[in-house]
Amino acid sequence: MKRTNQLALLALGTMAALAVFSQADALQSSKTYKTVYLTVVITPSPAPVVMHRAVPPAEVAPVRGVAVAPGIARLVADPFGGPLQVASSGSAWDVVPSGLMIAQAVTAQPTPVPVRFIAKPDPNAMYLHVIPHTSMLYAGYGTTPFACAYEVFTYYPTTHSLVDWAYGTTNTTATGTYPMMNYPTTSYLSWAVPDLAATFHTFANSGTPGEKTWSGTAGQSQQHCVDLKIVVPNSQPPGSYPAIVQYTLVVS
Amino acid sequence: MERIVRMRTLTAAATALLLTTAPAFAGGTPSTGSAQLKYKVLATVRAQVIPNYMTGFGPSGGSGSGSTPAPGPAAVLNGGTVDFGSAVVGYQYLYKYAAQINVQTNDNAGFVVYAEGATDLNGSNPVPTPATFPLAQTLFWLVNSSGNTPYSSATSFNRTSGTPIGLNGVNGIDYSGTGGIPSAGSAVWSSAAPGNLSRGFDYQLRLSGATPISQFDVYIVYTVVGN
Repeated sequence: MKRTNQLALLALGTMAALAVFSQADALQSSKTYKTVYLTVVITPSPAPVVMHRAVPPAEVAPVRGVAVAPGIARLVADPFGGPLQVASSGSAWDVVPSGLMIAQAVTAQPTPVPVRFIAKPDPNAMYLHVIPHTSMLYAGYGTTPFACAYEVFTYYPTTHSLVDWAYGTTNTTATGTYPMMNYPTTSYLSWAVPDLAATFHTFANSGTPGEKTWSGTAGQSQQHCVDLKIVVPNSQPPGSYPAIVQYTLVVS
Repeated sequence: MERIVRMRTLTAAATALLLTTAPAFAGGTPSTGSAQLKYKVLATVRAQVIPNYMTGFGPSGGSGSGSTPAPGPAAVLNGGTVDFGSAVVGYQYLYKYAAQINVQTNDNAGFVVYAEGATDLNGSNPVPTPATFPLAQTLFWLVNSSGNTPYSSATSFNRTSGTPIGLNGVNGIDYSGTGGIPSAGSAVWSSAAPGNLSRGFDYQLRLSGATPISQFDVYIVYTVVGN
């Protein structure tokens, strides 16, 4: 066979292989996705408490005589005694106008705002849904675990997989925002599915498609708890920080 | 806060002036003098809330739910209801230009605006069991901004500890049994300056998978308190 024919055959084979693999990729599609909205609330770690034994009160020292100006003493004894004080006395005030204060809040309450929505069932809930348990992650400095923060259910009649990623993250040089950050900075929030493995994984934070959470065979339905673990570095100020996880059901 | 009682002080000062001059009148001899009066104007606070305050109001989000959100029929420009229309359980929505609050005050110390739900979310059509669903962690607020999304950080509305006035709080909330003002945690805007000021808010709806299938309504009550 001539060299040109061999090259042509090689090229044809390469094209065929690429076509097969591309088709395989195309056969996988995203059926639906769900987001889990978490709020990390960093509270300062509690200060150590030391219990002291009650000490009996010391004897009260006798009150020493204190010299009081005669005018003050007279007013204390008889607040309404003379001489009559007036609001104006030359350029000075006998009775300062601002001396009397009564707290009274001035308020206004306009017509309330009516809010309405009609909650509709999720048509894809039979394939993927999330059951939240703990959406507010209260954490002090250090590492705090949250057992079964939420559960995820998956089902599909064909083989499928569940994929997660930290919503809003990208693979850039930008550090990102706490707690998810951006790759290559590691996320401070990690997850584990104890039904499947005890190992914790930091959330994938380099954009879509993310990482595989679990796989399912055709017709398999499964529901698992997701444990979370948050790390709060000492440099992170107290406050509330949103963390969004998106789960995508990829089907074949 | 300017105090009503300062007006009383003005009255007291004027009364004192009369007292000091009264003997002169009694004697029939005119008496002249000067009086120094310092007075302060009574603080006033007025406020209005305008739902759907700008063209383009309405919900967005719910990506992946298979339906496109649109304002419900009760939403009209510059009034009506903040009506999310149909929202799919398990998804998040952002309602742009939900409410604008306008405050007019002469209080030099400024004011604080509070916002609370008069009740939890009241379910109807069909009535779920239980009939209410928690407002907290379902309906959120955030200051209007072009960059807001259904996933933006936002603050949850909470059910009041005051007493709703009228059916489900249609006429507001009575705080007389809770210290006269809403809880500090429900503050949505604090201003240190007087004047005629406005601020717009977007609302965010996060429907967890536990939300019953029903129509839900709630009244959000804004209360402005002078500092």
